[in-house]
Amino acid sequence: MAIDQINGCIGCGICVQACPTDVIRIEEESGKAVIRYPEDCQICHLCRMNCPVDAITITPEKSIPVIVAWG
Amino acid sequence: MNTIIKKYNLFVLVVFIVVLPVLLWSRVIISHRALYKEMISIMTILAFFQLLGQFYLNRSNKLVSYHKMGRVVTFHKIIGYLFIGILIFHPFLIVLPRYLEPGMSVTDAFISLITTFKTGVVLGIISWVLMILLVLISLLRNRLGMKYRTWRTVHGVLSVIFIVLATWHAINLGRHTDVFMSVFMIMVAGGGIALYLRKLIKDIKVGGENGKRNVTAPVFGDGRSRECAVASE
Repeated sequence: MAIDQINGCIGCGICVQACPTDVIRIEEESGKAVIRYPEDCQICHLCRMNCPVDAITITPEKSIPVIVAWG
Repeated sequence: MNTIIKKYNLFVLVVFIVVLPVLLWSRVIISHRALYKEMISIMTILAFFQLLGQFYLNRSNKLVSYHKMGRVVTFHKIIGYLFIGILIFHPFLIVLPRYLEPGMSVTDAFISLITTFKTGVVLGIISWVLMILLVLISLLRNRLGMKYRTWRTVHGVLSVIFIVLATWHAINLGRHTDVFMSVFMIMVAGGGIALYLRKLIKDIKVGGENGKRNVTAPVFGDGRSRECAVASE
């Protein structure tokens, strides 16, 4: 699992739109984002970078190192 | 006994509004979160608890009456202005990481924040506006042309509304508000509000009886009531 936890979510839903693999969903009861399919996370960091209140944390040890192209 | 209460009552207050919130915050320190973000969080939590503590630093709390009321009111004012000064920046501090880290711009983040009309956010916006209003009516007290007692009631009632909404906002959205922190917040806020309402009801009863008997409060030479003279010491 790469996406770790969501704390302090305001329920704007931007992370749901940003996630390419639909890991995050808005929970109907609370109206806040929840990690629904953690095993699908590709560690792209799009959710974290697009969260206005920095509510999403991603485990650093599982982050993919930046790949530099040759030539 | 009086000396013991006088010596330890403020110590107990500090434990409740500083030590316990720090301990409860430390239970929920979020792993992998940058230190500066956690520092902003604890600063906000402590500032909020100081405002909750304001309900215990006034004449409605019998235990602080062992100290000079003028001194207590001075502390009330200093704490109020200082920590409201911090909490005014709370909505901007929340989006600060977007300025320091890649991704969404800080302006877009702030617009997203204030245009998300969910319960927690709306409560936060209303509380923030009420907080500004509280500062303004405190700063402009002499210019408002209200009697001191009327001003005190307006200030108290606004504070109660503010603290109810702000506590609800903190419980709904706070990233460090787990069950223990929520229960503790409700206890501190509830206790303070109960103290204030008891005093308010007592004041209204006394005011009503004085009105019936046509008794006026004792006034000083310059026309101020005793409470007004003590408050402005």
